Amino acid sequence: MEILNQLMMGFQVASTWENLLFCFMGTLFGTLIGVLPGIGPTTGVAILIPITFGLNPTTAIITMAGVYYGAMFGGATTSILLNVPGESASVMTCMDGHPLAKQGRPGPALGMAAMSSFIGGTFAIVLLTLLAPTLAGYAVSFGPPEYFALTLMGLTLVSSLGGDSPLKGLISGVLGLLVACIGIDAISGVSRFTFGSMYMLDGVDFIGVAVGLFALSEILENIEGPMEQLVSKTKLRIRTLFPNLQDWKDSYKTIIRGSFIGFFIGVLPGAGATIASFMSYATAKKLSKHPEKFGKGAIEGVAAPESANNAAAGGAMVSLLTLGIPGSGTTAVLLGALIIHGMRPGPMLFTSNPDFVWGLIASMYIGNVMLIIQNMPMIGMWVRLLKIPYKVLLPVIITISAVGVYVTDNNITDVWVMFAFGVIGYVMRKMKYPAAPLVLALVLGPMVERSLRQSLTISHGDIGIFFSRPISATLMTIALLSLFAPLFRTMWIRYKRGKAAEV
Amino acid sequence: MKKADLITGIVLLALSGFVLFKSWLMPESLTFGPGPAFLPGWLGVILAVLATILIVAAWRRDPDALDKNPFPGGRELLAVGKILGGLAAFALLMETLGFIVNTFLFVLYLMRASQRETWPKAALIAVLTTTGLYLVFQVLLSITLPKNMFGF
Repeated sequence: MEILNQLMMGFQVASTWENLLFCFMGTLFGTLIGVLPGIGPTTGVAILIPITFGLNPTTAIITMAGVYYGAMFGGATTSILLNVPGESASVMTCMDGHPLAKQGRPGPALGMAAMSSFIGGTFAIVLLTLLAPTLAGYAVSFGPPEYFALTLMGLTLVSSLGGDSPLKGLISGVLGLLVACIGIDAISGVSRFTFGSMYMLDGVDFIGVAVGLFALSEILENIEGPMEQLVSKTKLRIRTLFPNLQDWKDSYKTIIRGSFIGFFIGVLPGAGATIASFMSYATAKKLSKHPEKFGKGAIEGVAAPESANNAAAGGAMVSLLTLGIPGSGTTAVLLGALIIHGMRPGPMLFTSNPDFVWGLIASMYIGNVMLIIQNMPMIGMWVRLLKIPYKVLLPVIITISAVGVYVTDNNITDVWVMFAFGVIGYVMRKMKYPAAPLVLALVLGPMVERSLRQSLTISHGDIGIFFSRPISATLMTIALLSLFAPLFRTMWIRYKRGKAAEV
Repeated sequence: MKKADLITGIVLLALSGFVLFKSWLMPESLTFGPGPAFLPGWLGVILAVLATILIVAAWRRDPDALDKNPFPGGRELLAVGKILGGLAAFALLMETLGFIVNTFLFVLYLMRASQRETWPKAALIAVLTTTGLYLVFQVLLSITLPKNMFGF
């Protein structure tokens, strides 16, 4: 009952005309980002931080969260029609979505994508509503050792699960923590790595880093190739969008399973919507009565990844709002935005800013309804939009990013930070270093350092403090396991190979 | 990738050396408990270990036929360089040319240099982008954008 009252209050916050308008614009922009290949949700959220800087925190975060889950909806469109995933979480949607379109059923595929997205997304918000307050209440008792263990676990999981090579993920994370050290040390007041520059005393501008690392480098990577035009000749009418009864019979179990898988993978730090969509697709295929149909146009193959990636976006909000630990690159940027707006993410957020938290949660219910309208009746508009040579938009996006980074502090040095991190991000992309651990480490850096030093001060320098308390010991164990998991795997493979050689 | 990994490994090793050196120079904690050099110092150590693993792993890997240079060739780098050059000029000239002129020229340049749009189309997009940003930041959010010596 308590939760229901809180949620009602949230709906009051979310349904002011201003919040409704910005929720609509956020979801619309998110769908656009999702539809356009090459530009992902992290870039979308990063660009919006400076633009929403002047708004009140609730409206700003409602808009940015709308971009995040909106992109999950929009990503399916190009996957199905053109076999080009709109963003990484929609890669699996291509597998069966595009064959369906080629067989003359693009309508039901798009309709199923939108509806399973809606169901997965809404399911995750319901679970978020029910679980988040409990989890936050539980986490209030966390002391510095628990917080250190928690942030360390988040960092190691993101580093070792996020990219192709765990080693490169870890290097990226360590570099992020080092960048977070720049500036005045909050505990002792000593300035570190500032090279005598006044600008650096305040640390490196987060907006500049995020926009450079994601938006600028993503655009640089897109612009180096020749311009290609995406054309879809598909004509869609609203009547043709509805999947038939057989499609629903085939898919409903998959949607339910996908929603569960997506939500719980989303809650875990480190594994975001992309991994959730892969897992859900694999599970659907494994449990299907006719796995041979997968990859050749099975409607479940669309429902599985789309329900999961939307549910994961909702799940990721759980750890973001209750613990202040983001699970992916996009939520890390969202956390950075929260901090910029003066919020203190963590379990206290539910008690200190209930109108913000509940307003945001309620806005996600509203946003999901807005998204299904944008993606069902208005799907024709997005298809037509693809006819515009979208690379014309890239220079415009660079300009918006650069101006946005500049105006937040009216400091041109921030644009140079964006420039530098754009180059760093471009090199990292080419060398297959994931950027998410770096940005996550940068956001969590101050918390990692404070909790680490406080814990060691309490224990007089004994690191046993992290292992003698049950919660922090569990979290530390997970962190260490994920750190050494790749090593164990190599050893296991060598061991098996050695055995094979003996025989 | 082998050569690229070796080079980054050495750069990272040098960086960790620098971090360790800088942390060494930081003052000790005035109260009990770890001081300001504690985290950066350990990060320097961890980075050195990771860089060494990267170098050793790259060294022992056989350079096979698939081992391509991860960096693109001249034409792609030129495309990227054009954008970065434009962005650098944009940052340098912002406070001299003022927001309106500078943004207009920047978009015009990007449209011509990297997208090869025709002059009228490039000019149109430049005008629209500049107007849009001016409306959002100056009018809606009332942020003061830089002006040039002629007052616009």
